[in-house]
Amino acid sequence: MNRQTAPTDWKGAAMQKRIAGRYAAERRFKLMGLGAVLLSGAFLAFLLFVMVGNGARGFLYTQVAVPIDFKAMPLTIDPARLGDDDADQLIANAGLSDIVAFAAEEALGSGGSDLISENAWKEVRSAIKADPELLNGRTMFELPASSDVDIAAKDGAKGALGAEVAALEKDGKLSTGIHWPFFRNADATDPAVAGIWGALKGSVLTIFIAFLIAFPTGVLAALYLEEYAAKNRWTDLIEVSINNLAAVPSIIFGLLALAVFINWFGLCQASPLVGGLTLALMTMPVIVIASRNAIKSVPPSIRDAALGVGASPVQVVFHHVLPLALPGILTGTIIGMARALGETAPLLLVGMRAFIGDVPGGICSPATVLPMQIFLWSDEVDRGFVEKTSAAIIVLLIVLLSMNAFAIYLRNKFEKRW
Amino acid sequence: MTFNAAALLLLIAGLALIGWLAGRARSSLLAGRAGEKLHSRPQYHGWYVALWLFAPAALFLAVWSSVSPALVTNQVLAADAAQSLPAFGFERGAILSDARNVAEGRQAAVRLPAAAPLVKPYADASQKYALIGIAAMLALALAGGLYAFTRIKPDFRARTRVEKIVMLFLLLASLVAILTTFGIVLSLLFESIRFFRLVSPAELLFGTEWAPTSGAPQPDTFGGIPLFWGTILIGAIIAMIVAIPIGMMTAVYLTQYAAPTVRKWVKPCLEILAGVPTVVYGYFAALTVAPALREFAVMLGIPNASTESALAAGIVMGVMIIPFVSSMADDSINAVPQAMRDGSLALGATPNETIRQVLIPAALPGVMGGILLAVSRAIGETMIVVMAAGLSANMTANPFASVTTVTAQIVKLLTGDQEFDSAKTLAAFALGLVLFIVTLLLNIVALRIVKKYREAYE
Amino acid sequence: MTQDDLTIADPKMKAHGVNVFYGEKQAINDVSIDVGTDLVTAFIGPSGCGKSTFLRSLNRMNDTVASARVTGRIELDGEDIYAPSMDVVQLRARVGMVFQKPNPFPKSIYDNVGYGPRIHGLAPNKADLDVIVERALIRAGLWDEVKDRLAESGTALSGGQQQRLCIARAIAVDPEVILMDEPCSALDPIATAKIEELIHELRGKYAIVIVTHNMQQAARVSQRTAFFHLGTLVEYGKTTDIFTNPKQERTKDYITGRYG
Ligand SMILES: Nc1ncnc2c1ncn2[C@@H]1O[C@H](COP(=O)(O)OP(=O)(O)OP(=O)(O)O)[C@@H](O)[C@H]1O
Ligand SMILES: [Mg+2]
Repeated sequence: MNRQTAPTDWKGAAMQKRIAGRYAAERRFKLMGLGAVLLSGAFLAFLLFVMVGNGARGFLYTQVAVPIDFKAMPLTIDPARLGDDDADQLIANAGLSDIVAFAAEEALGSGGSDLISENAWKEVRSAIKADPELLNGRTMFELPASSDVDIAAKDGAKGALGAEVAALEKDGKLSTGIHWPFFRNADATDPAVAGIWGALKGSVLTIFIAFLIAFPTGVLAALYLEEYAAKNRWTDLIEVSINNLAAVPSIIFGLLALAVFINWFGLCQASPLVGGLTLALMTMPVIVIASRNAIKSVPPSIRDAALGVGASPVQVVFHHVLPLALPGILTGTIIGMARALGETAPLLLVGMRAFIGDVPGGICSPATVLPMQIFLWSDEVDRGFVEKTSAAIIVLLIVLLSMNAFAIYLRNKFEKRW
Repeated sequence: MTFNAAALLLLIAGLALIGWLAGRARSSLLAGRAGEKLHSRPQYHGWYVALWLFAPAALFLAVWSSVSPALVTNQVLAADAAQSLPAFGFERGAILSDARNVAEGRQAAVRLPAAAPLVKPYADASQKYALIGIAAMLALALAGGLYAFTRIKPDFRARTRVEKIVMLFLLLASLVAILTTFGIVLSLLFESIRFFRLVSPAELLFGTEWAPTSGAPQPDTFGGIPLFWGTILIGAIIAMIVAIPIGMMTAVYLTQYAAPTVRKWVKPCLEILAGVPTVVYGYFAALTVAPALREFAVMLGIPNASTESALAAGIVMGVMIIPFVSSMADDSINAVPQAMRDGSLALGATPNETIRQVLIPAALPGVMGGILLAVSRAIGETMIVVMAAGLSANMTANPFASVTTVTAQIVKLLTGDQEFDSAKTLAAFALGLVLFIVTLLLNIVALRIVKKYREAYE
Repeated sequence: MTQDDLTIADPKMKAHGVNVFYGEKQAINDVSIDVGTDLVTAFIGPSGCGKSTFLRSLNRMNDTVASARVTGRIELDGEDIYAPSMDVVQLRARVGMVFQKPNPFPKSIYDNVGYGPRIHGLAPNKADLDVIVERALIRAGLWDEVKDRLAESGTALSGGQQQRLCIARAIAVDPEVILMDEPCSALDPIATAKIEELIHELRGKYAIVIVTHNMQQAARVSQRTAFFHLGTLVEYGKTTDIFTNPKQERTKDYITGRYG
């Protein structure tokens, strides 16, 4: 052998020990990687576990069985007017709340009216409006318990309240049912009747406006930049703007909306219109970027083929490129919309944090959105709102996760077309 | 009669449909009669008419619906009944909006007695301007439609015209991004300049006392340093300490070690983590993490332990950023050519030596760019800090103490009871300007680095 | 096929009945070949015939391809390299590889060459490493060109220099065999000439296997040539014999340029 140095002694003890050490380092490193993945997974699992654990109870509510005999305590109201717009007001004026309170005292003993929610009569009112026949007889109502009783029944409580709840339970007067007001009502100060319907509708309206503006604008802008724009300073400026807007903190969009939409244009404050406009500006860059990538991935051969048979550039894009890029565009749009749907910060600044006790009627009426409702409830001191907050989070997560899952599904399905 | 923009939009859309049908029919008719071949297919003539009918009218509608409320209000203020209004402030606005609500039928009766005499002037004025607006809009629509309709000839190049208009739309759409950027810059600058007339920029940038509590005996102070420090502590230090190692190791594991099936399942899970809204993270931080950390700190005997700790917000923010860091790192590592990895393995390096000494150094620019973007995202994050970090402006390095951030203060200054144009509300815009500039610089630098890096391995 | 004057007394590597599969697809079919220490062996054959695949199975680089599977026996100094007791890390240190496209790491020239000795612990201290790096660069014929800029990035060199840097990097761990997969295909004629010269100089110190598409190159640098076709070894012999007097029709067709 014609070597200048002695060949390396790979079999020597020292070298073998070194190799063993290197393999140990390899195993440690791999374990660290696995640990990181597991840790991320554990965070997600823990977060979901906490939210579901807290929130599942928020969908349920304790009800107290109270018979109300409208023969004994007549509600003086003309049944023909129960369909009118102001029926709610009329029933309230007729003193239904007193009747319900009295019935509770009668059925549950003195202090009984404190065991049911002070808004329980509103549930009775809804029932009467749905079925005026109730006014002619004695009916057993399952009324929402007061917030304290609800928590005591779910958690167990000591003291006088605990004893009372235990007694009610023994008499079979307590039951647990799905908390329909939670799905039917808007916000309220009483957890017994506070619901997410108002916020949900606000979210739908807001996102609808955002989509209506951001989607066409985003897709058209992407088409322009990818297909037609000449490479010059203007297009560079547009590109830089879009890339930066996609990374600008969302709260900045809130400041923009506050200054421009509300202070300058005087658009209706706290409305889905302003919220939607704000979120549209925020999501548009996301849609542009996703659409551009989708358009880029349409092979040039398709454009050449279409141009070759005499299609004009506009026809090529709208007849061939756009349909082929659509799955990718939709994926990006859904992800952007899901992000907008979960967004809170910019909407705080355009006034959507106000307490809104009514379900919003239109795009210009005051509204709140689901994430904002979560934020507002998270600040409430009343313990009943803790589980309501988590329940609202579950609803929001279900909506968002199904949107994201759909986007991922779309992407995987159409990923490798070429 | 009120000015209902949505209904009017539908109306002109309907007219446009008629225009489309008419244009199409006329072009085929003309072509049939003259026996000539049409330059463009009939539907392009239809589109041409429809666009001419719709676009000017819709544009007018947009402009009119944003200016007409001001015109109405002006006329009302000129009326005799308005002379007795309080000069300024909240009450005046409330009375006016009360009167408007009644006049426009959104409310059955006035709530403020002072509004009653204004209802009629309001109703009159809005009716007048609604009529003017509708008439002008319809005239525009008809004029546009007729103009286009008369131009239809067999050899009229309708398709080229329509395509020109389509191109114009595309161009306009792409300008929205620039417009938004300018809007942000201008609105932030405008309000910030007004703020800097009251408070010097030096105080905001270098002052160490943040106490914008109006009503207090001593004057407000707007020293931003405590906020900047809090922002950095939470977003750039604690969150990154959590996110960078975990995100990087996750990316390394997924790209280098994990079986394809594992990757197939873990990646969507990470995307789920990324899709959880920040308000949920914030609630999680405030409800679960912060109390646990406080108990831990009290157990250790750390002073100033607060339930609104920098640590709770920072850790949860870090978790939020993990998927972001890991996907950026994933992309960067994947962009390193396979040849680099093979070269190292062929020398007898173990995978971890290859990763640590070859792949990560080679991917470093991309990873750094990703980390800068992550920092920019963390310091702009609002809900987690609003809910979990608290509002007390402390200059402390104790992560168990409460600190506040720029974003949390913007929210605080702009929500709740606010008088407009006070230094307090203007300060929010100045803080926004600082935040915008910092994140903008971070983003530009990061995007540059990432782009350069991608080109290096092209 | 085996001839008496062809048998190598003490082959460095011996392959016997090797098959390589990518999933279901068989890329190498029953190949047996010996690689001698003092010789340069050239692998030639049309594109896709499995030269690279076979070469990569000699230092188990095919392990990095998830779908790849190797059967048969390959020995290095009489040891089965696919035996469980064989350590891949050491194997690859002993059987170095140079790739088609130069792939220097984005590190300094010094660190590129020092990388292997460092990870294998071949240099107890900096002075030793300096010696190893210098010797490797000298052997690769690059020392004079880079000795004043060892701290510069390896990627800043020209293509030919980069390839010689990669050879130096492989030499630095003191391998026994060097596998080269079309080392000159990305280089211009002058750089190619330099590499060929280098191969001449390295012969005798290392067992060298080179894959090439360039017939002249195979004729110039090698003493043994193996012709592969469709995953089988068609003919193996002295380079002079293969090029002047091939036994197989297919070999003849290939080297005279009738296909491939
Ligand atoms: N990673 C892989 N997965 C699946 N099949 C592969 C893979 N690598 C190579 N092949 C297939 O194995 C066969 C042999 O490929 P190989 O790269 O060894 O050919 P080659 O002789 O080196 O060709 P060339 O001269 O073009 O480099 C080819 O049919 C190729 O398609
Ligand atoms: Mg090959």
